[in-house]
Order: sequence, then C-alpha cells, then structure tokens
Amino acid sequence: MVKAERVQVEEAPGTAWLTGLAAWFIPGLGHVILKRWYRALLMGGAVWICFFVGLAMGGHLFDLVSDGQIALLQIPPMIANLGQGALYIVSWLINYGFADDPVRAARATYEYGNTFLLIGGLLNYLNMLDAFDIAAGRKP
Amino acid sequence: MRHFFVMALFAALAAIVFGAMAKDTTRERMIYGLKVFAEFMVIGLVLSWILYFIP
Repeated sequence: MVKAERVQVEEAPGTAWLTGLAAWFIPGLGHVILKRWYRALLMGGAVWICFFVGLAMGGHLFDLVSDGQIALLQIPPMIANLGQGALYIVSWLINYGFADDPVRAARATYEYGNTFLLIGGLLNYLNMLDAFDIAAGRKP
Repeated sequence: MRHFFVMALFAALAAIVFGAMAKDTTRERMIYGLKVFAEFMVIGLVLSWILYFIP
C-alpha cells in the first residue's frame, strides 16, 4: 500500500520575486539587496567579467534576427544571452555587440567570446535562483 | 598559451559561481569550487588532446 504524503508548499513572498528580478536585471544586485556582499561580489562579478571579456574577445550577442530574417535557431542562444539582464538590454538598445561580421569571426578568440557571453547569461540565471532561494528563506 | 589562459579563466568564473551556490560551509564551498575548476581544466585538456589527433 502506498502511503500518501501531504507535501506542504510554502509560497514565496513577493519580496523574493522582486529580489530574483533584481538579480536578473543587474547581475549581483539581488545579493546586494540581501546584504550578501561576498556572494554579490563573486557571483555578480563573474557575470560582469564574462560579459566584458566576451565582448573584448570578439564574441557577439544573439537576437532573433539573423541576416535580416527571423531565425528560430537564434532563440536558445538569445535566451542564454538574455540572462545578463540590463547588460543585454542596453547592448540591444545601443546596437552594440550584435554584429556578426567576418572580421570579428576571423579572430582566434571569436568562439571563446561567444561562449563567455552565453555562459555569463546562464550563470546569472543561477545567481537569480540563488538570490530568490535566499530571499524566500529556502536557503541559509 | 592564450587558449589555455582563456580556458582557465572560463573554468575559474564558472567554478566561482558553482562553488558559491553549492554546499553549506565556506570550507565546503571552497573545496567544491576547486574541484569544479580542476574538473573543467582536466576535461578541457583531455578533450583537446583527443581532438588534436582527429583530422
């Protein structure tokens, strides 16, 4: 006989959602709000470094449009890039870092740059979840 | 040399985030972060040698 277990699900407070949102929007801000200074410095700093090193190495950010057409294959890397929150949005607004020209692609560090930009966004999603969990009291 | 440095930087940044997120104590986090860093480096080097011999 299977014993039925009642799982109690605690709802996260609204501040936890806001902290998560802040952590996504500005990498490190979520932990700053929670006064987790070292975490903010280390985890947020890693994302900022990934972003700027990625761009410096010639990597490019992804958006929906490729060669003037909307490409579905651009969506997964775009979601990864979008993890960097305001860094991605500001770059998109000023149209910086999206060019995928042959000169840039010829650089030895081009693929490294792309990888750094993708991983920076994915790491920030982890930061966001961490900040959310701490704010919701699910993590010490 | 530049490739190795970039790989090490990538491994370090990922290990920092993974290490900071996981485990409970600072000591455990440090050990876990170093373990993740070492894993990234070893796997990266092994893969690069395998790919070196593939034409």
